[in-house]
Amino acid sequence: MGEELQTYFNKLLTRIDGLKAVTVTDGDGVILIKSVSNDVSPRVLEPALSTTFSVVSDQASKLGLKKNKSIVSLFGLFQIVQFNHTPLITTLVADSGSNTGVLLDLGNELKEVTDIIASALSERQVIV
Amino acid sequence: MLKPKAISQVLKQATTGGVKATLLLNSEGSPLAFISDSDRDARVYAAIASNIWSTFEKNGKNLMRDDNLKFLLVECEKGNVAITTVSNMLLCLVAKPEVELGILKAKTDALARHLEEPFQRMTTYTQT
Repeated sequence: MGEELQTYFNKLLTRIDGLKAVTVTDGDGVILIKSVSNDVSPRVLEPALSTTFSVVSDQASKLGLKKNKSIVSLFGLFQIVQFNHTPLITTLVADSGSNTGVLLDLGNELKEVTDIIASALSERQVIV
Repeated sequence: MLKPKAISQVLKQATTGGVKATLLLNSEGSPLAFISDSDRDARVYAAIASNIWSTFEKNGKNLMRDDNLKFLLVECEKGNVAITTVSNMLLCLVAKPEVELGILKAKTDALARHLEEPFQRMTTYTQT
């Protein structure tokens, strides 16, 4: 199961044009699964990226527009698309010129995968 | 000289087609000019938008090799928020969920381009 997931995440980097990194973390920034291209800084794997999103997503949920679903941050060279897949956080790092719509759509596809990981984690917590 | 009434008129032109509120705010989150159904909502949008922007801006400096944050898109269940910079200020558009993210970004970019030059001149004037 773990190997299948890893293969799926690795394939995403070749399937989506400009996609450099995909990570699934918990709310504390602990990486559960990742796939990173060689030509991107390893700093994108730092927990700060996910923990910041966790805090900001909570704030965005207080805008009066109900729960926050995702945040796209566009930088000069990169764009980061982060999804609130409670209790997990999915982060996509791509070139700034990549198609943001495709990345946002990928979030819906990844939701099914993160749901499986989240349920496996909760089952494990019950056993422990 | 900058005419405050003219700024409000420009913001009003953007507050159409599903856009609920348009705000121009300083980096501390205080609104300078805004068009919104309620003053209270505008102040909440301004405070949270500036906080989200500054958090991601710091992230960019620390993790993305000093890359400058250019645009933020916050997607919530009942609406979307687009944030960008105009000179040393922030421009924030709040739209209903029916508004496509692409059109929201295009509108924000067009408005930012329109306001950039006069605000740049004002910034230069206040600095001298």
